[in-house]
Parts: sequence; structure tokens; C-alpha cells
Amino acid sequence: MKKEITKYYPLIPVFAAYLLLFLIGRNISGMWQLVAMLLFYCALGQAFNIFLGMTGYVDFGYVAFMGIGTYGMALAITKLAHIEGLGIGIIIIGFILALLMSTLLSVAVGAVALRLRGAYFAIATIGVNEGFRFLIEGARIWNGSEGLIFTAQLNEILGREAASSLMTYWADIMVLIIAALAAFVTLYYMRSKIGYALTALREDEDAAKVMGINVTKYKIIAFITSACFAGLVGATSWALKTPYVFPPEVFEIHYTIEAIIIVLLGGAGTLLGPVAGGLIYGISKYYLAIFMPGFQLLIFAPIIIIIIVLFPEGVVGMLKYRLKDSALARFII
Amino acid sequence: MKRNYLKTAMIFFACFGFLLATNALAAPKKIVIGHPACLSGKYAKAGEQAIGGVKACIDWVNNVYGGVQVAGKKLPLAYKYYDCESKKEAVTSLIARLITVNKVNVVFSAYSSGLTLRGAPVAESHGMLYMDHGGANNKIFRQGFKYIVQTIGPATNYHQGTLNMIQKVDPKAKKVALAYEDSEFAKMVMHGAEGHAKKLGFNVVFKRTYPKGVTDLTPLLSALKASKPDFIIGGGHFEDGQLFNRQMADLDIDVKALSLIAAATLPAFYKALTSMAEGVMGPSHWEYGVKYSVEEAKKVGLNWIGPDQDEFVALFKKALGKEIIPDYHAAEAGAQVLAYVLAVEKADSLDTRKVRAALGDLTFMSFYGGWDVDDTGLQVGHSMVDVQWQMGKRIIVWPKEAQTGDVAYPMPTFAEKARGKVALPR
Repeated sequence: MKKEITKYYPLIPVFAAYLLLFLIGRNISGMWQLVAMLLFYCALGQAFNIFLGMTGYVDFGYVAFMGIGTYGMALAITKLAHIEGLGIGIIIIGFILALLMSTLLSVAVGAVALRLRGAYFAIATIGVNEGFRFLIEGARIWNGSEGLIFTAQLNEILGREAASSLMTYWADIMVLIIAALAAFVTLYYMRSKIGYALTALREDEDAAKVMGINVTKYKIIAFITSACFAGLVGATSWALKTPYVFPPEVFEIHYTIEAIIIVLLGGAGTLLGPVAGGLIYGISKYYLAIFMPGFQLLIFAPIIIIIIVLFPEGVVGMLKYRLKDSALARFII
Repeated sequence: MKRNYLKTAMIFFACFGFLLATNALAAPKKIVIGHPACLSGKYAKAGEQAIGGVKACIDWVNNVYGGVQVAGKKLPLAYKYYDCESKKEAVTSLIARLITVNKVNVVFSAYSSGLTLRGAPVAESHGMLYMDHGGANNKIFRQGFKYIVQTIGPATNYHQGTLNMIQKVDPKAKKVALAYEDSEFAKMVMHGAEGHAKKLGFNVVFKRTYPKGVTDLTPLLSALKASKPDFIIGGGHFEDGQLFNRQMADLDIDVKALSLIAAATLPAFYKALTSMAEGVMGPSHWEYGVKYSVEEAKKVGLNWIGPDQDEFVALFKKALGKEIIPDYHAAEAGAQVLAYVLAVEKADSLDTRKVRAALGDLTFMSFYGGWDVDDTGLQVGHSMVDVQWQMGKRIIVWPKEAQTGDVAYPMPTFAEKARGKVALPR
């Protein structure tokens, strides 16, 4: 029993970080939206880490899953707003749609792209992202390039006050829950057969295959899980927080690059890494934008390079190494 | 001894409380405009222009106008801006900081419809006035936001002036072709143009969109040619606008007028197409050279405020420390400062509700042109200007109160242009 509990100890620093963020946001005036931004980056990193960190595959088309999740929520709100009595149920349907659509897309993409490796896999996923965006625009699916704007429908469903607090507060709480859930699932995978199989394939895919591991199965599990969390992040951080969807914005490759940076800064394949990476990334960007508006990217780029050169395994990777013989080792993985 | 400590502590807290209370009740010493500006990222160019425009008009208000008259006092304007990197995540956090930490009195939105929409719920939740100088999408104003007010003209108005002008100069021209890029902005322009064309009695003989990043418009233009329009309106961005004009020349599609959004007003357009661009028109929110003035304002029955055009240009250059001519991004951001100043003076208060109500009743003219909003905050008083290339120069041909020359109509055919004929008014 004790062993069962101790294996979840590494969640303590992750949840403590989220709790601290929540308390700062709630109690210090003007900090909530900053906390919301940090939570978004942490959730993005945590979700992306499930695939990149555990398999070593770099999915450059990752933002497509966030985009499709955003559409899932947007479609539920725009298509069901007129049905009386559904109320908050529409948001729940939106989450189900977001999950369903991101799962379907990840199954379709995974079935093809996961047969490839290295640069070929990366290029194929970029193609999927761009191709999907052009499909929506060109075939005029879901209002095509005009996108969907649905603040008015959200007001209609929930009432103005409730919709406003959803957009400015509750959507961020949902992101926090998604980030925590992603951390829990990551640890669960790490501590189960799935995690051992993924570690084996990350280190040497051919050797893992020879050892009898069904690498395709485990890659697809990690890929779909990661995509589902991306869909949920899109549905909350983009669709509920900002009730509009324009295809060029929700399929912008920049977000995938940000996810990669966050995971590498914190430490790929670690549990605490995406939290550390998300916080370093978000806080640096925010305060540089305030104190050096216009020049922050010039300063930020060298900072990232220095961190990655000094800590090639990421900040948490370095911490893990330093603390390996101490009592804290069981909390940091 | 203990009692003495207690007494001292009580006096200290009483003084501290009094100081806090008087500080909270003290009248403001300045009015602060907050702005999550786009200094980097994809809207960096527009963002820099907007900052220059805001600074230029603040300079004018503080040093020429003498400050903002409110509650019997003249208060100076101050400007607090951060770089949002043209990203939605930063917009919300910076707006919250501007409101809660910097205690700004009004927030100017970031550039683009998307970023404007992103910031609106945060501004609304703080009951903060939110002024939009970069989001042209009409749908922003159908979402039920209470404190948002637009200065930039809505996308649906972009080609209305062109249609009004053609109806006036050539009542016989009835057949119009619409060919726009398939993007959120261009399609909104197309909806507005189509509706207005039908209202004016034009017959829309062709209506189609082309994908972003298009490299060949021949199939679309061939179909368009077969519909035999009198004139064409369309476009999307610089690259496709240029391609549109070039391939029209290749296919010998001659019409009486061609107006392209975004592309035709840029100097690079003529540089790339030279004589092929003669007579081509494009709508713009504002162009250097417009003739809006105190006299024009009087003629149309509007009050005038702000610097004249040359004064604005000089202040803009001073603000940015660069020898560049401001474009419409700067002008609309600057005009927004003037609108806010007039509304505060009209409301005689800094209270968001009162200022928002005053903005709803406000009409005026400045170097940017007319200003008026409807109940939803949508800009209805500003007319786009139409620019035409004549002898290699950009001439403002519409509206009358802004024009620097008459329109060259019909424009020369592509064969005539190839022989060196230029566009000149008759």
C-alpha cells in the first residue's frame, strides 16, 4: 500500500507549483491573467511531453490537435446555442467533441506518420498541420477562412455575467485541471508497462522491437493521449477563453515551436520539466515584454541557448542528476 | 509602557489609514492610455506606426491643446505600452496588468481583429473602456461587448466609397465583378461590397474567391472576362493584388475601373508593375495628402479637433525619431486619442460608463476624417479614401472632402498603357 502511494510522490512538486500559481493569481491583484498565461504554457508543455518526452519523436504538427479541439468546442457552442435547456451541457458536449475530434485526427495522422522516423516524421506532421488548415479554408468547412466568432452565443447560453467569468476565470481553472491531469497521466504511464516500453523505444526502437515490444502500439498510445490533451487545451484556452476561431491562428506552427522549447527547457521525458519550462518561458517573456518592450526576443533567444547549453537535459534533468542521492530524489523525476 | 506602545501604534495606523483614504480620493493628476502594442511579431510594422500615431497626438493634446479639461482641471495625457508580440496569450495578461497595476483609464486594443477579440473579455470584466483601432471585423460589435468602441472603419465599408464614386461618375456602369482572396478579412470586405453594390443598383455579374498564396489567377480571370464586367473590385494582400493586375494585362481584360484592397495603395505596387498600374485604384483608411481641414469640417457640419495633417506628420516623426511618413495605422491610432479626449471632456468625467456614453454621442472631424459610432460601438462616421495611380503618383480621388485630384475614369486599356498612355482625369 505504502509503495502504491510513494510512487505518486513526484506529483507533489507539480501540484504544489500549480497550487502556488493559483494562490498567487487569486490573491495578488492583476496577476490572474499572467497566471492564466503560465498555466497555458505549462499545460501545453505537459501535454506535448507525453509524446515527445516519452518517445523522442518530434511532432511539428502538434498545434493541429489544439486547433481541432478548438473547433470541437466552437462547433458545439455555435450549433447548439439555440437549443433551450442545454445550458452548461453545451460546454460538456464541446469537451466531448474536442476529445473525439482530436482522437480521430491523431488516429488518422498516427496511422500514416508513425510509420516514419526522424526528419521524415517531422516533415510529415508539418504537412498534416498545413494540409488540414488549407482543407478547412479551401473546402469552406466550418465557415472556412471566415472562422467562427461566438461570444454572443456564449452570452446566450450562460448569461452575460457567467460567460464573462468563464472567459476570464473559469476557463483558466479548467486549463489548470487539464495540466494536472496530464501530469497524472504522464506519471501513470511512467510507472506502468507503457512507460517502460516507451523508454525502451525512445532509447533504441529497433532493439525494443527485437525484445518483443509492440512499438507501434505504444507509440500510438502516447500519440493519441498527447493529442487528446492538446485538444482539451485548445477547447479551453482558445475556444472558451477567446470565443473565436480563425484557421490561420489555431493552426499556427509557432505554438508547436513554443511547446518544443518549453519541454526542452524543463527537461524532455521528466514529469516536472514541462512545469519548470512553462514557468521559465512564460515569466521571462512576460517581464521582458514589460521592461524591454520590443527587444525581448533579442534577449530571450540567447537566454534559451545558454540554458540549453548549460543544461542539455533541461533544468529538471540537471536537478535530477544533482539530487540523485538525496531524500528529494523521489520527488523529482 | 505597554499602553504607550498601543497608543503610538493606534496613531500610526490612523495616520496611515488617513493617508490611504486621501490618496484614494485624490483627484487624478494625469490620464493614462494603456496599450498592449504589437512591437514584434507579425504585426510589428502596424504596431510601430500605431505607437507613433498615439504619441504624436498625445504630444499635440499636452503641448498645443493644453491638456484634457475634466472636472475644472486640465490634465495631461500619459501613455503606457507593452509589447504583446502580436500574440493572444500576451494580450490578456498585459491588459490585466495595465488595468490593475498601471491603473490606466482606457485601453487601446492590439492590432488585428483576433487580438482585439482576445482582449475584449478581460477589459469588459474590469469595466474598462476598450478602443479598437486595428480590428476591422464587423462581428466584433455583434458580440454584446458594452465598452468597446471602434475607430478603424469596419471591413464591410472598404469598397463602399469606390462604388459610390463609380455610381456618381458613370451612372451607366452597372456590371461589377467581385474577386477577393479567401481570408477572414477579404471575405468580410466582399460581403460589404456585395451588399452595397446591390443597394446602389449594380448588377454583380461575377463573384468568386481565390486561395491565399495563389500563384496563378488565369482560370479565375478567364471566367471573369467572360462575364464582361464594367469594373472589378477585389484583392486581399500585396502579392495576389500584383498578380491580379499583371495577369489581367496578360489576358487583355480591360475594364473601366479596377480597385484592389491592400495592394494598390502601396508604393511597391507601382514599382513592381510600372505602367500596368496606371489608373488602378485602392481603398485606404487614410493616406498622406488627404485634404481634411477645419474648413472641410465646417462644410459638413462637424467639429474639428487635432493637428492638421502636416503637424501630425511632424509630430509622428518626432515621436519615432525616424524620417518616415505615417500610414493609416498611425492615423487611426492618433485619431483614437482625439476621440477619447473629446469624450472625456464631453462627459466631464473619467468614469468608463460616462465616457462610453459620450463616445456614442460624439461626432467630429480630424486629420483622419470623420468619426461617429453606432450603438454597438461600430465606426460609421469614417469614410475610406480611394487612391488612384495617375502618372506614377498616388492621387486621392474620393471622397470629395479629402481628394487631391479628380478620378481618371475610365482607366486606359492595357494596350494603351503598354504604348505609354497614362491615367489622367478628363
